[in-house]
Amino acid sequence: MNLAHLHLLLNHFPIIGTMVGLGLFLISLVGKNEDLKRAGLIIFAVMALLSLPTFFSGVGAQGAIQDLPGVSGDLISRHEGAAMLALLFMEITGALSLVGLWQTRKFSRPARWNVMAVLLFSLITMGLMSRVGTTGGDIRHPEISTGSNPSENEGMLGSFVHAFEPTPSKVTDLMIENKFWWAFMMDLHFIGLAMLVGALGALDLRMLGFAKELPIASLHRLVPWALVGFAMNVATGVLAFIGMPDFYTYDAAFWIKIFAILLLGLNAAAFYLTDTFNVVEHMGPGEDAPPLAKIIAASSLILWFAVITLGRYIQFYQSTLTGK
Amino acid sequence: MALPTFLQSIEGSSFSTWMRESDSPFAFYFVLLFHTFGLALLVGANSLIDLRLLGFFRSIPLAPLKRFFRIMWIGFGINATTGVLLLISYPTKALTNPDFYIKLTIIGVAIWILTKLQKNVFADTTMTEADMMARGATLAKWSLLLWVGAISAGRLLAYTYKYITFPS
Repeated sequence: MNLAHLHLLLNHFPIIGTMVGLGLFLISLVGKNEDLKRAGLIIFAVMALLSLPTFFSGVGAQGAIQDLPGVSGDLISRHEGAAMLALLFMEITGALSLVGLWQTRKFSRPARWNVMAVLLFSLITMGLMSRVGTTGGDIRHPEISTGSNPSENEGMLGSFVHAFEPTPSKVTDLMIENKFWWAFMMDLHFIGLAMLVGALGALDLRMLGFAKELPIASLHRLVPWALVGFAMNVATGVLAFIGMPDFYTYDAAFWIKIFAILLLGLNAAAFYLTDTFNVVEHMGPGEDAPPLAKIIAASSLILWFAVITLGRYIQFYQSTLTGK
Repeated sequence: MALPTFLQSIEGSSFSTWMRESDSPFAFYFVLLFHTFGLALLVGANSLIDLRLLGFFRSIPLAPLKRFFRIMWIGFGINATTGVLLLISYPTKALTNPDFYIKLTIIGVAIWILTKLQKNVFADTTMTEADMMARGATLAKWSLLLWVGAISAGRLLAYTYKYITFPS
């Protein structure tokens, strides 16, 4: 398997997943079904997470095909710009969905403003994601493409959207033009790390039996704080990737780090979507968490420290992967 | 101005040379990794205590948070140790950069505040939460600010140095 495989493996999920999520969300609004609404929000959050490796793997796919005969650099660039714009809206939709899920937990339904915002952003995301799909298809599917002119391929609507999207090479230049901008992004990445590990570490340690005087329910209030740190790190991480795409793409530590982050998503699902959270949620001082909660807490701690480790070794393991 | 030659002798030591030049993942990067672990433990836990003293997450009882002081001191111990090792690896790079002294000063004050928090706010178990918050709020504000400053100054070390090693 190479990085081009990875891109082909992942790239349908964000598009179809957003459609499925939006479908459930719309039905939940018509049928006033809160469970279905929650399912829609969960799917948006999962898609926001999965979109990250999908986006990252695009550079490897580009590296694998750009020198082949008949492959147009213009079409690749158009696809990449479309992907950047769609990723932005996808991540905002995911963040709004997490806010909605938090509100659902507290008030048994998301706030009205949240439902409206998720609806708006997921609709835009779906449109933009479809465009990422068609512009991507144009690169290697001559049977549906009219040639190597992106605007001719896209037609009027796509070309209209194109006017609002970033030019990939310009964004890359912007990220690395000033070393103090880069330093600032890395600084935020480390502050986000401290917020994330501080908050989730405290919760995980308590579930494992440390500082039992603390009620788990109140420590769980730290999760939104951790998610703010995570959002900061997704934003700065994606921008860093855009700044030095080849540096990260051909790096084994980077990909294992991303895989570990996906596993953390799975771990969070194991916590919230099984009975574990319901059992732990109301635990007061002195109470002992059940074994499954302890396993999840330990996995979370181990995986977050693995993420830090792999991040620290990105520089060491640069150029460890080949393009083909 | 000529640079002091002790920088050169430290760099010439076999440990310093090994840290810089070894291809092993257990040399420089390993020490740097533990410096980051220490940061996460120390700043992660301290920022929670600071935020709680400032009135966030009020449902978390304050007094039991003193258990986190041990974690913070472990984090500080890791970082003092790894910090010295990193300094031995690149003494010229660090000691010729004003930012390094700024970073150490900030950390010094932040750790002084940490001891004040421990002694003046968390040591007396008879205090009410309101008393603890009243006593700790100013310290907490400074602590948060200083830790952001320490991380920033630390990150900037990678971008502001004048020499990497002793100029020949």
